Formats: sequence, C-alpha cells, structure tokens
Amino acid sequence: MSLISVKDIRKTYRVDRERVVALERINLEIQPEEVCCILGTSGSGKSTLLNILAGLEKPTKGTVKIGGQTVSNFSEKQWALFRQKNIGFIFQSYNLLPTLTAVENVAIPLVFKGVDKTERTKRAIHMLKLVNLGDRLFHKPTQMSGGQQQRVGIARAFVSRPQIIFADEPTGNLDSKTSREVMEIMVSLAKRYRETLIVVTHDNEIAKYADRIITIHDGNVKSDEPNLSILQTIHSEKQEENA
Amino acid sequence: MKWKDMISMALGNLFKRKVRTVLTVAGVVIGTCAIVVMLSFGFGIRESMEAMMRDMGDLTVIQIHADSGSSKSTPLDDKALEKIKMMEHVVALTPVCMLDPSQVTVKSGKYRYDSMIYGVDMGALEAFGYKPTQGTLPKKEEENRTTILMGKDGAYDFIDTRKTNNNMVYAEPDKNGKLPEPFLDPMKAKLQAEPTPPENSTAKVKPVKLNCIGILEEDYGKSPTPSHCIFMDISLAKELQAKYEKLNNVKKDKNAPEGYSEASVKVDAVEHVSEVEEVIKKSGYSTYSMNSIRKPIEEQMRTIQMILGGLGAISLLVAALGIANTMTMSIYERTREIGIMKVLGCVVGNIRSMFLMEAGAIGFLGGIVGVGISYLISTVINTLAAQQKGGDAMVGLVSAGSQISIIPAWLALSALAFATLVGLVSGFGPANRAVKISALTAIKQE
Ligand SMILES: Nc1ncnc2c1ncn2[C@@H]1O[C@H](COP(=O)(O)OP(=O)(O)OP(=O)(O)O)[C@@H](O)[C@H]1O
Ligand SMILES: [Mg+2]
Repeated sequence: MSLISVKDIRKTYRVDRERVVALERINLEIQPEEVCCILGTSGSGKSTLLNILAGLEKPTKGTVKIGGQTVSNFSEKQWALFRQKNIGFIFQSYNLLPTLTAVENVAIPLVFKGVDKTERTKRAIHMLKLVNLGDRLFHKPTQMSGGQQQRVGIARAFVSRPQIIFADEPTGNLDSKTSREVMEIMVSLAKRYRETLIVVTHDNEIAKYADRIITIHDGNVKSDEPNLSILQTIHSEKQEENA
Repeated sequence: MKWKDMISMALGNLFKRKVRTVLTVAGVVIGTCAIVVMLSFGFGIRESMEAMMRDMGDLTVIQIHADSGSSKSTPLDDKALEKIKMMEHVVALTPVCMLDPSQVTVKSGKYRYDSMIYGVDMGALEAFGYKPTQGTLPKKEEENRTTILMGKDGAYDFIDTRKTNNNMVYAEPDKNGKLPEPFLDPMKAKLQAEPTPPENSTAKVKPVKLNCIGILEEDYGKSPTPSHCIFMDISLAKELQAKYEKLNNVKKDKNAPEGYSEASVKVDAVEHVSEVEEVIKKSGYSTYSMNSIRKPIEEQMRTIQMILGGLGAISLLVAALGIANTMTMSIYERTREIGIMKVLGCVVGNIRSMFLMEAGAIGFLGGIVGVGISYLISTVINTLAAQQKGGDAMVGLVSAGSQISIIPAWLALSALAFATLVGLVSGFGPANRAVKISALTAIKQE
C-alpha cells in the first residue's frame, strides 16, 4: 500500500474577481521510504502541492490520504498533532527561531511533543552531530552561515523521527557546492532512518539525488518516472567497487 | 506540550524584550498602587470614624423607650423584657428607672445626696461594660437589694443640711491641681434611703440601709453615664418610688403604660445591632442606638471609598490598554515565529496559553511590585501623619494611634489577583489573534 495517495487534487485561488488555478488535477501515489523530487518551473504549483500534502493548505477538491487516513479533511488541531508525530519540514529560508541556540532550535518539535528537557537536548545534540554541527551546538542562527543554518533545519526536521519529511526548495538560498552537501545529508538521513523524503525544486541538479522525479507543469503532472541517472550512478559505483 | 515548557517559553519572551516588558509592567504597578493606596485611605478614614464612634457611645447597646401617651402602646414590663432577653444575640438587658433626689432621700447623717438615682438590674452592669475604680461590681448570684454603686463624682453630690451656704464640695481641682476631699467616703459611710414625705408631714417612714460596694469609672460612652449618680437595684427603686407616690398622693396618669419607661439592651456584636433593633421596634417600642448614627456615616464612607477606588481603577484600565498594546505589538513581531511553531506541530491551544501566560505574568509582576510599593507609600504617609499629629496633639478628628492609610491583607491579595486578571483579560484578544494566524502566510512573511 502506498504511504501517500493523492486523488484528483485541485486548488484554485481567488484573486480579486479572478480565479487562479494553482493545481488542476493531480493524482499521485508515493511509496514508503521513497525519495521523491517534485520538479517544475516557477509558478507551476509545486509549493502548493507540498503545502496541501503537509496540511498547511486545504485543497479545493480531491482527497489526500496518508497511511490510510484521509488527512485532507482534518481540523487544524488534528493536523497539528499529526504533524507532531509524522511530518518533518525543511524550508528554503531555514525558518529557525532567531533567539534560540542550535540545540534549542532542533529540540523545538520535541518540546511540542512534550518530551522531557534532558531527553530532548540529548537527541538534539545527537542530530546536530549527525549533520556535522557538533562544534556549533550553542550558536544562534545569526552566528551561522546559510549552509549551517540549513543543516540545523535538517536536524530539526529529522529529530522526532517522522515518517515523512517535506522540503520546499531546501537549497534555494545556497550555492551549488553547499547545495550538494545539504542534499547528500538529507538523502542519507532519510535512507538511514527509512523515511520518505519529498523535495520540491526547480533545479535539475538537485533532482538527481531523488529515486523518483515528478515533473509538474501548470498544475498538472507532466511526467513521473524513476531517476535514471541515480540508477546509473549506483550502477557505476558498483562497477567501481568490483574493479 | 508540557506546562513547564510553556511557562519558560512565555517568560523567555518577556525577558527577551526587557525594556518593553518593564514599561508595561510599570503601567500595571502604577495602576495597582493607585487602587490600593486610594482604598487604603478609605479604610483608614473608616477605622478612625469607628474609633470615634466607639468613644461617643457603646455601639452594641440599644436603648428602648416605652411609647408614652398613646393608650394602645405596648407596656415595657418584666414579661416583655424577658422576651427580649431571650432573643438571639442579646447578651444582657436591664430596665432603667430614674429617680429624682426629691422623691427619694439618700443620706448619711447630716449629709443628703442631691443627684440622680438610677434603678437598674445590678447584676447586668458587668455585661454592659461598667468598670469599678474602687470596690467591685455585684455578682449576679449574690444579688442583694441594698447593694448600690456610686458614679465617679457621686460622692461630691452630698449637701451639708445644717448649713445654708457653702454647703457643698465641688469636684474641681484647686490651684495645685489637687481635688478636694468630699464630705464622705461612700464606701465607708452609713448610707440610708427613704421616700421623701410631703413637707410638714409627720408621717414616719422606715429608711432602708444601703451598702455601697464600689465606685464606677467615668465613661461618657455609657448611658446611664456613671458620673454624678447612684446605681440602685431596680426593685428597690420601684418600691421607693411607689412609697413616695403613696405618701404624697401623686395621682397616676391612667394613660401611662404599665412597667418601665426605659431599658438598655446589650447585643453581642455590632453586626447584629440593626437586626435586634428592628425586632424590638416591630414590637412597638422606640429605640435608639449608635447604629442609627452609624448607618448614614457608613454609607458616606462607602461612597468615598467607591470614588477613591474608581480613581484607582481608571489608572489600572490604562494599564490594561498598555498590556493589550504590548501583546498586540508582540504578535506582529512574532507572526513568523508563530507560523513556524504551527508548522512544526504546536497545537493552537498551546500558543494561546503561552500568550495568556505572558499577559498574565505582566499583570502578576505589576501586581506584586505595585502592592509592595503601596505598603511602602502607606508606611511613609502614616509616619508623616503621626509626626504632624505629634505637633498639635489634641487637634484633629483622627484619634491617637489610628492610621490614615490601612492596607488589610485581603486588599493586598485581591489587588494582586485583580492585576493578574487584568493581564489575562487584556491578553485574551491578542492571544486569539495569534491563534488565528495562518501558518502559511506567516512563514511566507519576510
Ligand atoms: N495565496 C495565493 N493566492 C493566489 N494565488 C496563489 C497563492 N499561492 C499561489 N498562488 C498561485 O498559484 C500558482 C502556483 O504557485 P506555487 O507557489 O505553488 O508555485 P511554485 O511552483 O512553488 O513556484 P516557485 O518555484 O516560484 O516557488 C502561482 O501561479 C501562484 O501565483
Ligand atoms: Mg515554491
């Protein structure tokens, strides 16, 4: 059974008297442990789709099921509790709380879950070490580079071991080298914890890290196929190992 | 989310914006001070008024008068008094019968007593608060009809019957401030009473020997006032009066009611006076008590306090606006933060609670500091006033020892609770606004 199942999703906005169609009709099935990339040009509706999947917006039509539950008609409170347990979020602009240290930022989702202070600090420190920030534990966001801040963001998304991680343009504010580092960390953590990762991007280079690439165009799925290049890389890596 | 974490996040937010928090708290401090200090004046004035009224008369005594004149009036007889005595809250009761010295002659040798004689229930005097300066008050058990008590200056009311002028000793101090000795010491002198026969009458009357066992302390708050008078057993007084009337052929007014003309009732506490007085009035007697004076004064006091409290309340209202403003500002600043928290799975109830806690904490802090400062102001004012009073000791309404500003513990506590409540109420609107912020628009915001 698929983990996420999107059926006939439509999303329109009313701007003044006009109707803007963000998503026309989307149908998708996403399997557990998949690393998916939603690729598309600006304004194609990628973010809108992701926000609907994460419960930050309601679809105009259609249903979303996650793990068999119809989440598209959840109340705000149900969504909050569902996100606490099952969803991690990585933003383009990091969205760390400026007054908190790295450890405190990473521990925030655990605070909402009601995890004890010593326990959550321990887990936050562990996560920060996994993203190679063991030496920046008590720095505030303003004292860190963009790449470092995004790694704090990644640690925060993974700290509560959710089933699904959503990332909207996680490398949008980073240079290409840092982007690659960030993507590698994200994908390796998802694989390590056997979590489903859904990344929204307009960058073909980034898409290369995914198992599956879903291309959106004008609110419709244009193509949905396994990532051939990644298969090739795995293939060549294996050849190298054999050699 | 745990309470502990919500509290520490809420306090953390206050701490982060120190200057603003301090200014907002200062508003609450001023408001609380205004209310508490204003009301404390009210309590101070009230207290000194009560002290003053206590000096004016016993607040727990009701005087009853039988309505004379109308034939239908209820007699104030032993049966009626017994009924009143059985009432709840009544601790003592005595009929009062006034005898004129022309009706009853009290004398010791050549000295004749020439002032008021009151017939009362001697055993009840103690309960009414009469105190002896010499000797003792009669005990209820060992009631003796011939026992009498002398008012403080009663001893100066004897006249030397052998002289026609310069026949009295006045209770006035001489040049050296020394009081002259009265003709006799009533505690030692052989006293006797007899109904006064008509002039030129040859009728023989049998005198009653009297035994004075005490001199009473002067107290103008009491009625009858133990000053120039003798207190005598009521039944003896009645008997002497009856004998006098018989000897002198005094015709009784048919309309005059049977029984006593006056009685005094002692009630256990000030709060019950009006209740008891009401019942007695309903039975058809006129009454008089300090309570009748007290009521309008109290109403006035209440009005004064309400005005003072109202002035204070206005400043706390301004403080409430300050809190609401601070919280609203804080929401605008923290919109993005609230959005992030929502996306990361914070339920809206927790967000609301945190905002309310912040607002409540501002109120609570302001309340604590405000109450503290109020106590300080109160102490300073009282000290200054005491020094002022020391200058012109006898002048001034405020009786010695009483304070201008009084803060009872309950006032301090309710001010604290009220300040916190004001914080919570003014935080309520902003908190609900924070809850309604859309997570998506919030995180899109720059
Ligand atoms: N709140 C909104 N009100 C009105 N129109 C909206 C709103 N949000 C999105 N849209 C419209 O929906 C369409 C899709 O927007 P969306 O943000 O999903 O694009 P995107 O693919 O994420 O683009 P980008 O790569 O630039 O982030 C756009 O045409 C946009 O104008
Ligand atoms: Mg987008």
